[in-house]
Amino acid sequence: MSQPVRGRVWVLVILLVVSHFFLRVGMSFGQGAPDLLTVGLLLWARETDLGRAGAMGLGLGLLEDALSAVAFGANSVAMTIVGVGGAFTRDYFVGDSRFFIVSYFWIGKWVRDALHWASVGDSIRPPFVDYVLVQGAVGGAYAAAVGLVLVAITGLGGEAS
Amino acid sequence: MPPYGNEPDSTARRRDIWFAALVILLAISTTYLGETVQQGISNVVQGSVLRPFIALQETLNDARRRAGEVDVITQRLDSVTAILATQSALVEENRLLRDMLGLIERGGPRFVPATALRPGTAGSERMFVVDVGSRDGVPMGAAVVGPQGLIGVIHEVRSQSAVGMDWSHADFRASAMLVDGTSYGIVERRRGIFQEDDRLVLSGTAYTTRVRPGTVVVTSGLAGVLPRGIPIGKIDRLLDTEGSWRKSFWIEPMVEPGAATHVLVLTEGSAGDLSGVWPVDSLLTREEAIGRDPGS
Repeated sequence: MSQPVRGRVWVLVILLVVSHFFLRVGMSFGQGAPDLLTVGLLLWARETDLGRAGAMGLGLGLLEDALSAVAFGANSVAMTIVGVGGAFTRDYFVGDSRFFIVSYFWIGKWVRDALHWASVGDSIRPPFVDYVLVQGAVGGAYAAAVGLVLVAITGLGGEAS
Repeated sequence: MPPYGNEPDSTARRRDIWFAALVILLAISTTYLGETVQQGISNVVQGSVLRPFIALQETLNDARRRAGEVDVITQRLDSVTAILATQSALVEENRLLRDMLGLIERGGPRFVPATALRPGTAGSERMFVVDVGSRDGVPMGAAVVGPQGLIGVIHEVRSQSAVGMDWSHADFRASAMLVDGTSYGIVERRRGIFQEDDRLVLSGTAYTTRVRPGTVVVTSGLAGVLPRGIPIGKIDRLLDTEGSWRKSFWIEPMVEPGAATHVLVLTEGSAGDLSGVWPVDSLLTREEAIGRDPGS
């Protein structure tokens, strides 16, 4: 990844992280706001290697876990694996078609929710159908829409640099 | 054998994979950290990176709470205002009814108390309905009065109700005189530019009449409709002189018809003299009464 691209990705990820916590925590929108943390991680993963993507996922996951009253670490696990998985796609999927971009963000967000569901303890685990199939699918579509707009604007993430 | 092909890249790739695996293991290990350690990490992150967002949420929550409190306080203020306004109306009604009771005592059984209602529909302007009728002895043309004086006359009598017109009606006429009996005339309504400008006029008085402003005008009983002695109003100022043989005066009415809700209806015709029912003191305004008080 070239230096200018790396700088743009950093700026974009920082903006997304700040926006995520501003909307979800500061403005109390909660789930009403898109999961910009995952969108930022998936964008970052398309521009870097496995280890760095995983580290970024771990860092962002820890930020979310800090606000989690229970199941500390579940977000860290989910985000780390999604970051590594996103970086893996660089080797197998190269392209910037809308179909690919939508699928990438939609599946990435859905997998993140599924991993989080699997990582939390049995006592607090929400119903699979509600949390993974319904909310995960809707959240994935939300993230895909946001990701599509971001890629169109910035030109990042669509093709491995 | 020296390295061949993309072996350096493969080494970096292997290193990258190992690093990713290590990070994943690290992430998994966070779920097994002790509760104290987890809590410590949460506290550090909440107190540093996430502090601005948490503070923003607290600020917004406080603002929402205060906005809700303002609504509650406004509702309480409205309730208190409504209660006070209701009490004010009750006090006024109480005073009116006390005055009315005094009038009934002075007037005797010739009066029946009634409630005046204004339909408020088109064509019923300046008219009112009282809840007494022929069954209560109310005759056609009966005087409708209040504690201060004449309000109007009954225009139509039914069994249990009657329709009256107040002095602002175009057909209202009353034979009148100055309270000291020095001059006689006819009281009628004079239209203003707006309805609120309608006023009473005493016309047809003798040209030589000398009238001081504030002199009370009462019914004279001469026309055979209204009995003698019901206050109508007070002389305000000279309106007009016609040639050199008569004068007209503006009259300040004793009663504002729109404010009359409780009235008395005279059950006798034009006979009799009601001068004693409204003593001079009862016709004074508050300011006039204070002016007459020697102690003031």
